[in-house]
Amino acid sequence: MERREFLELLATTPLASAVRLEAADPEWPGPRYRVVTRYAAAAVPGMPGPFPGRVVRTHSQRLPEKASAAPDPLLVREMMERGMRSLTGETTTLAAWRRFFEPQDVVAIKVNAGGHPYCVSSPVIVAEICRQLIAVGLKPPQIVVYERFFGQLADANYAPHLPEGVQIQAAERGNRAPEERSYDPLTYVEAEFFGEEDTRSNMMRLVSERVTKIVNVPNMKDHGATGVTGCLKNLAYGSFSNVARTHSQGVSHTLTAVGTFAAVEPLRSRAVLQIMDGLRAVWHGGPFAPTQKFLFFPRQIVIGTDPVAIDRLLLDVIDDKRKAEGVISIWDRSPSHLKPNDTIARDSDPNVNILIREPRHVEYAGRLGLGEWDLAKIKVEEIEV
Amino acid sequence: MSLALLLAALPVLYWERPPDTAAALRAAGIERVRVPPGRARAWTTAGLEAVPLQDAEKSDRVALKPPGLAGRADAGSATRRPWLDANGWRFLRAPKARYFETAARDGAALAAAEAFAYGADLVLAIDPADLPALGEALRFLRSVPPLDLPDLADIGVVDDGSGAAGEVMNLLARRNLLFRPVARSASDPPLLVELGTPAYPQAEAANPDAFALKLRAQLGDERRTLRLYGSEVVLARLVGDASRLRLHLLNYSGRSIQGLRVRLRGLWTPGDVQLLPQGKAAVEAAVAQDGTTEFSLPALGPYAVVDLTAAR
Repeated sequence: MERREFLELLATTPLASAVRLEAADPEWPGPRYRVVTRYAAAAVPGMPGPFPGRVVRTHSQRLPEKASAAPDPLLVREMMERGMRSLTGETTTLAAWRRFFEPQDVVAIKVNAGGHPYCVSSPVIVAEICRQLIAVGLKPPQIVVYERFFGQLADANYAPHLPEGVQIQAAERGNRAPEERSYDPLTYVEAEFFGEEDTRSNMMRLVSERVTKIVNVPNMKDHGATGVTGCLKNLAYGSFSNVARTHSQGVSHTLTAVGTFAAVEPLRSRAVLQIMDGLRAVWHGGPFAPTQKFLFFPRQIVIGTDPVAIDRLLLDVIDDKRKAEGVISIWDRSPSHLKPNDTIARDSDPNVNILIREPRHVEYAGRLGLGEWDLAKIKVEEIEV
Repeated sequence: MSLALLLAALPVLYWERPPDTAAALRAAGIERVRVPPGRARAWTTAGLEAVPLQDAEKSDRVALKPPGLAGRADAGSATRRPWLDANGWRFLRAPKARYFETAARDGAALAAAEAFAYGADLVLAIDPADLPALGEALRFLRSVPPLDLPDLADIGVVDDGSGAAGEVMNLLARRNLLFRPVARSASDPPLLVELGTPAYPQAEAANPDAFALKLRAQLGDERRTLRLYGSEVVLARLVGDASRLRLHLLNYSGRSIQGLRVRLRGLWTPGDVQLLPQGKAAVEAAVAQDGTTEFSLPALGPYAVVDLTAAR
């Protein structure tokens, strides 16, 4: 690089304009975060979006309660159409989708493929989202289904379910695979959790440099580090590199990390729609689902723009199921139930934690302005299809 | 550094196979070898510059573990950090020592580059199948312009010659906490560490990883001359003065690493990166802010070197 060229680069790179330091708060223990981004927030950031504290839950008794049974695409379509119309107050489904998307958008669909084979974002729901986006006027190549890991996307195998031309993209081959070029070197969160040397987590370039909007399609799952993995965790940990470092040896810093990652621009502004797949769910051992042992069937789809409100409801869905099964709560912090790193014990006994779960990560995200945490202020509209 | 000195700094292949393999060596571009005693004349006749490695010299040379990512299934770890076998700290500790190493299969290029990066006097035995890779590496290393500059360091370690001090240096190196061995009276670098003092009791060094973390905390990441992001299996050597820097990067993983991010204190203009084996490439996404310079590497094989000049 020539000296003059480099000096010009120094003058034009607005990197320093958006450095945010999070001071340690004794009520919310965690590391000091340094957030670096060159993106400004949208006038109305996607999260919590135009409908803070509003959630539409569509439910159907006609959905299957067997892992081997696929949901009826027409039934899923009806649930989503009614949910979208109800959320937006529009009389037609097309108008409801046009509240969020325009024909020139490039839209990423953030799936959750980590629960293969029994609990991933349903290909039927993902296909229906593609159908609606195409109806809005997007061409299939303007739609990108994404996840962090190639292997998980390959296992979930969305391609046969999607319109031809829809892109499927991942950033890396494994949690520690050295493929940083898929990540944006100028958009990152810097924090030290456990003495690691690599203290940065970078946003996927797809999110920061390519797409204009994101539809988030999480599952309803228990999570050993966070309590649940819903909208916030799926989006945050699915869009940044080097995030597994936040939880180790029984300790989880996800309490503050999940919200901090989710709030980084442009992720926060571009995530305009949350469609939670509750056709099936995982009540223990999540985020993975290698067996049917901990699978259950809420038979619902939850729609909104406020990820905190949706995840607040999810905490109760998972915890109520655990109570019904007679096992410890996701809020349990007892050392007597903690067996750090013993995944074999965790997978065989729902009363074993490998980490102290941090379900209050949802509340922390609310404090960062990502949505409504207070159950009394969350308005839920129930639709039976 | 003169060309003669540069050649002297290149590792030399120790080759035990008979002289009828000379064609394979020449095909790999290798013209200088150390050979078992009694074979030198035959090798010279075969047209190579051959110097016998006497048994006494071989045993006098410090034997090194081959560099690379080590499987440590037998050892519990408090962290998920990979364990590296790396020799840079030994070279820094004893720069005038002479070394001997048998490289791991597929590890010849890294072994040669590691010795070159530290200017170490190394005789290197390899798996014969790695001959082309070693030849390629030596050809690359010969193409790197000589530059003789002092090590930059944030930490000075008073070296009492003990195993404990050595292990501290090893763990500092593994964290890219730049250090150099110093005399007790040294006033530079900013953080001076002497085991057995009240500030740094010997007992603390019994856990060298925790000790290195303590030094890191005392120094503060913001004050560190060098940081690497995107991998914990790349170790660096940084030399320089007020006007120039040379950054050596050694990748111990055995795999190519894309997008490694480098952060240096100060404002520097990065030149092209010279990548083994790809050759020259431009650095990516170079920026400067808050008195630091950052850039990314496109793809890092076993070794890369970047020269930088002061930006102002």
